[in-house]
Amino acid sequence: MGCAESLRVQAYFDGEVDAVSAADLERHVEHCAECRALLQDLEQTRTAIRRDLPPGRAPPELRARIMQALDRETALNTPRGKRWGRTSWRTRPFWVGALGGLGSAAVAATLFLVLSPSLTNPLLDDLLSAHVRSLMPSHLIDVVSSDQHTVKPWFAGHTDVSPVVADFTPQGYRLIGGRADYLEHQRSAVVVYQHGPHVINVFSWAASSALPRNTTRSGYHMAFWSAGDVQYCAVSDTGWDELLGLVRLLRVRE
Amino acid sequence: MLPHLNAAYRFARWLSHSPGDADDLVQEAILRAFRGFDTLRGSNVKAWLLAIVRNCHSTALKQQQRRAFVPLPEEHDPQDGYAMIATTPDPESASIRRDDARALERLMSALPEEHREVLVLREIEELDYRAIATVTNVPIGTVMSRLARARATLKARWLREVEGELRGVR
Repeated sequence: MGCAESLRVQAYFDGEVDAVSAADLERHVEHCAECRALLQDLEQTRTAIRRDLPPGRAPPELRARIMQALDRETALNTPRGKRWGRTSWRTRPFWVGALGGLGSAAVAATLFLVLSPSLTNPLLDDLLSAHVRSLMPSHLIDVVSSDQHTVKPWFAGHTDVSPVVADFTPQGYRLIGGRADYLEHQRSAVVVYQHGPHVINVFSWAASSALPRNTTRSGYHMAFWSAGDVQYCAVSDTGWDELLGLVRLLRVRE
Repeated sequence: MLPHLNAAYRFARWLSHSPGDADDLVQEAILRAFRGFDTLRGSNVKAWLLAIVRNCHSTALKQQQRRAFVPLPEEHDPQDGYAMIATTPDPESASIRRDDARALERLMSALPEEHREVLVLREIEELDYRAIATVTNVPIGTVMSRLARARATLKARWLREVEGELRGVR
């Protein structure tokens, strides 16, 4: 492989050069026997690999095993201890009568927030405050709809991101609407789900800083993930299993 | 994430030498991805997942080396080595195809890992240079030179195999 252009010819073969360079390299190949042979070799190697080694698929047993492990994982992830006074929050039928009981729930939630140890990460602080604020009467939803085709376009005019929006009623997560919130100095989109008596707020904003790890604050679980340039956080007082169940459904939609 | 399970599995198969190891690798990688320990940078979810597979693989390797790992007698899986090969209806051409495929698979397995992985990522997973650079954690220039060397070596060994009529001899 003596020709100085060989790496560029390879890049051309791999579709990695722009049109101008491509034309340039095509002219070069016309005059360079070595690069012509190289192109032929590259083509043969690719053909052999793609023809003789067709894409393998993960065995169904492995797929099943992984789904099981994910389920076990979410079960394990549910802290059994009494960190952050979480236990009382989970066991108390807090949001019974869901939306109707929001007023008193929010008061209690705010108290919890005030009494909880200081939060170091301002983003976590903001998310938690936004979640708790959303539970106060008439702060939960700006656009009330269980139709993703209503909620999604609404975000376009009111927020800086366009998050995944889908209704998962069959899986137990009912889309109830959307809201705009101010987070990370931008208009973030919040998709609101109801799971049993619990409200789950799914925040999303254009990625601006490192993503925090999943955590539990003041009895609220916060699960973080990102997709493309958008960061997400699901917040709720449901169990980890239930929260991560929704996260999984959303991530599969990415 | 699960849409890329097949890609993760294929890549794991090329990284590790036994199907059992590959299964464990994929499972661990997906759990890691799920836990969100490895933050997605950029927008290529497939490259992100494959990078996690690769990290899990090198972590496992290091652990094995540290423990002076003694391998258990290998379980023989009749599917081993054939799992990735499609069968065609014509038995004769199928058998030639299988020989070719087995030889090619063996030659690719014999490549140094840093060459094999870029080749697999480019030709089988069809990632672009930038994504390959992300997965393998090296600059794009290194991806290009490794890819060139991997292809040249494979081609040369393939020729030697055919010309020397070594096929079938192992």
